[in-house]
Amino acid sequence: MTLQQRLYAARTYFDGGMGTLLQKAGLPAGTLPENWNLSHPKVLEEIHLSYMNAGANVITSNTFGANTLKLDNLDEIIPAAYDNLARAKSRFSGDKDSVYLAFDVGPLGKMLRPLGDFPFEDAVAVFADSIRIAAQCGFDLILVETMSDLYETKAAVLAAKETCDLPIIVTNAYDESGHLLTGADVPAVVATLEGLGVTALGANCSLGPQQMKGIAAQYVQCASLPVVINPNAGLPKIADGVTAFDVDQEAFSDIMREIAALGVHALGGCCGTTPDFIRRTVEKTRDLPFKAPEEKHDTVVASYTHTVSLAGMPKIIGERINPTGKPKLKDALRRHDLRYLVREGIAQQDAGAHILDVNVGLGEIDETAVLQETVEELQSVLDLPLQIDTVRPAALEAALRVYNGKPLINSVNAKEESLQTVLPLCKKYGGVLIALTIGEDGIPDTAAGRTALAKRIIDRATQVGIDKKDIVVDPLCMAVSSDDNAAKVTLDSIRMIRETLGVRTCLGVSNVSFALPERADINAVFLSMAIQSGLSCAIMNPCAADMMRAFRVAAMVHGFDPHCENYISFALSHPHAASAAAPAAAKAGDEPTDLPPLMYAIVKGLQQQAADEAKRLLVSENPIALIDSQIIPALNKVGEAFEKSKIFLPQLLMSAEAASAAFREVSDKLPQTDGKKEQIILATVEGDIHDIGKNIVKVLLQSYGYDVIDLGKDVKPEAVVAAARKTGATLVGLSALMTTTLDAMAKTVALLKKELPHVRTMVGGAVLTQEYADLIGASGYAKDAMGSVKLAKRFFPEG
Amino acid sequence: MSGLILLTGTVDEITVNRREALRYLGYRGRQADDGIDALFDRAHSALAACAAPKACYRAYELTAQGDTLQFGELRLQSASLKKNLQGCRRLFLFAATLGAGVDRLLLRLQKTEPAFALVFDAYCSAAVEGWCNLVNGKLAEGRTLRPRFSPGYGDVPLSVQPQILSMLDATRKLGITLTDTLFMTPCKSVTAFVGIEGQGPRA
Repeated sequence: MTLQQRLYAARTYFDGGMGTLLQKAGLPAGTLPENWNLSHPKVLEEIHLSYMNAGANVITSNTFGANTLKLDNLDEIIPAAYDNLARAKSRFSGDKDSVYLAFDVGPLGKMLRPLGDFPFEDAVAVFADSIRIAAQCGFDLILVETMSDLYETKAAVLAAKETCDLPIIVTNAYDESGHLLTGADVPAVVATLEGLGVTALGANCSLGPQQMKGIAAQYVQCASLPVVINPNAGLPKIADGVTAFDVDQEAFSDIMREIAALGVHALGGCCGTTPDFIRRTVEKTRDLPFKAPEEKHDTVVASYTHTVSLAGMPKIIGERINPTGKPKLKDALRRHDLRYLVREGIAQQDAGAHILDVNVGLGEIDETAVLQETVEELQSVLDLPLQIDTVRPAALEAALRVYNGKPLINSVNAKEESLQTVLPLCKKYGGVLIALTIGEDGIPDTAAGRTALAKRIIDRATQVGIDKKDIVVDPLCMAVSSDDNAAKVTLDSIRMIRETLGVRTCLGVSNVSFALPERADINAVFLSMAIQSGLSCAIMNPCAADMMRAFRVAAMVHGFDPHCENYISFALSHPHAASAAAPAAAKAGDEPTDLPPLMYAIVKGLQQQAADEAKRLLVSENPIALIDSQIIPALNKVGEAFEKSKIFLPQLLMSAEAASAAFREVSDKLPQTDGKKEQIILATVEGDIHDIGKNIVKVLLQSYGYDVIDLGKDVKPEAVVAAARKTGATLVGLSALMTTTLDAMAKTVALLKKELPHVRTMVGGAVLTQEYADLIGASGYAKDAMGSVKLAKRFFPEG
Repeated sequence: MSGLILLTGTVDEITVNRREALRYLGYRGRQADDGIDALFDRAHSALAACAAPKACYRAYELTAQGDTLQFGELRLQSASLKKNLQGCRRLFLFAATLGAGVDRLLLRLQKTEPAFALVFDAYCSAAVEGWCNLVNGKLAEGRTLRPRFSPGYGDVPLSVQPQILSMLDATRKLGITLTDTLFMTPCKSVTAFVGIEGQGPRA
């Protein structure tokens, strides 16, 4: 029986802890246990054999940390680890066919970007190096375990998929709240890993069996695959001289019986458990009937923290990150201003979007690189699932690789070329696929025709192993102005596809009103009718109040809004113009002032008011004049007050942000050529992670209208030079807080002078002095954040 | 070497020294005002919602020869740590963190509200110190302890970090990892040596 067959036919048992047993056998603290595969093969063989004798089926190699970051002789260690298992198996007198040898893969001990510094593809490569050797040895499966980060888990699974054909089993390490260290909950992990096509999944380590019961129940509830639960022997506790755990084998196996009764398919142990723990678990669960895994039918996408189900209440897919018809977004893409895209994303999340569409298709940019970077940027600050929207297979694959979760994929259609390129990518990386009802002859003009195309796509997808639940059909809507029946056919299609094919649907609703007056009215009514017809998700602009009103009302009247909560909170925050009594103007009057309203808003740090006021003034005033006559003078006023200690840093920063908000309005009005801002590179030097001061400088410089390129903290001299070369920036600001990093500061200045003699440098930070700045040859010394603004003004007299 | 002890906490148990946070913000002796206090209040609620304070520690016998200190498998040459541990025969090695949720929120704030991000950053730095003080307090029950001493102070290099994290199993137990330049992720994490004066009860 293969392992896959067994996991569906009978309860399977995994082995238990390794570390405790090795320590008992004399492994000195601080020694890498993997080295014992070579130096103490007999010890390993005995441990493996004792687990087989205890009744474990899956026996794991002693290779938890066997990767190139920790060891350089993997080509000796991994085969030796396999041999230790194989010798034990050959000595095992029981049923050898029910013993499976697992290559154990643990975490790398590195945090991936953006939280840490380790690149995702490097993680894939490091895992692949180990698994490639293992694949030559004869292992029966790859066991990826103790993973506390979803992103690293994905890297390991991708590496395994790309280097071997062995079954992959993954167990993750959760904390007491049922989340991975980096935030994913059980459903998000399950959705992502099932999408990636693992063989079985579950949890291990960090918790004892009692604390893991809830997690086990969640797995059984949402996973379609076999579930594996390998807890610790409770929590570590004080015991003279050695680490001990607080659950003994009897208590452990009693709780494991309860866990088996929840419907868990495979049981084993982790830290602190021994062959006796496994033996007692096998004995106590033997009589419990086995229940094979149950297929789940919910359609689910996931971010790196949570899932969004496309069943139940209709979902909003925010459509604003898409250059079509959006000049500002096009411009941001051309300038590579991904911050603009992130702001669009955050605004949509705040407005109620459940999922964000991401489309950066623009002729003149490298879509593959930009789409990948945009996905990484968005998922570093936003926890919504993304819908990756591109017609280019290379861009789609690049984005799917780095996406942390289970995305929506927009889209495949019924044309042969599309089916052949998109389906394999969806199968490899996992995702929920939007299927457009477009065939070789275009879009059929009947509901039956569109349903037939949808069926063709579903059939082809299931042939390559994509589950029907992971297909969402978009029956498309043409403009009702060009075809009287356009909207009706779409509504009929939604109903027919849902009823005859049993899949979810989605629709971009705003196309219906093309070329007609008062489009918002049409879109809102059409959206309500589409929801009435059973639409699962609407691709729309959640920041448009009319659309959101229609959505909230439709969701409420269809019973998807318990206690009308969503509707009420929306309605209260979005009163109709008639019922909203002019509130804004009165606000500024709480304090007498001689200042014009814009300057007042900046001085007081009122962001929204500064933006509104700038917008109002720009109707009549020249943008440049507005900067010179109000924004900069207001900032100078604040800066002066700060220097005299009349106001404090937070006020200074709030004012800076208010000025930036006003500045954004102004720069929208500036002609493109005039809009080119002076660029300044900022970095905290290598070896220094103190970046509070650098970030203060950044906020202030931005408020004065400079384009700040922030390289972050702990930046190598070479990286600073490379950035200056790439951007053409002529001013570099460097910060250091520790005396130990002054050397790095000197090196960076020296390298800049050597490589790019025209670039000027300004330096600052707690330990810097004018004397030291002169000594290392910096062009200027900023004693504080305002000082850096003064220097920048000196270096860019026009700015 | 004693067993490894794990602790978890909540933000509300932690006493955050706001003066310390002000110092990180460059206040240099200026007085705080209502404005900054309101921002710190907001930082506190934000922190409470995203932090997962965890710590682990272990006690070791300490031996010294010249400037070379030895405890567990760690051998370390340091005049300044030796001075700090003068007269101690045992010490605690500990690691503490506020968790990766803080890093996640900080990344977002830096893009959405850079000014508040700074205040939050400074507040969290003070909070992780507060969390260490809380853990220290538990260690001090029935003992007299020396001031906390972290790698990077004096002549103790950051290069001891990998071994310290491995001795405490801190990557697995607390999720603390190191960057190539030996800084810790999550960013609000601390490792430290704490000398135990005299004999003291066993840890």
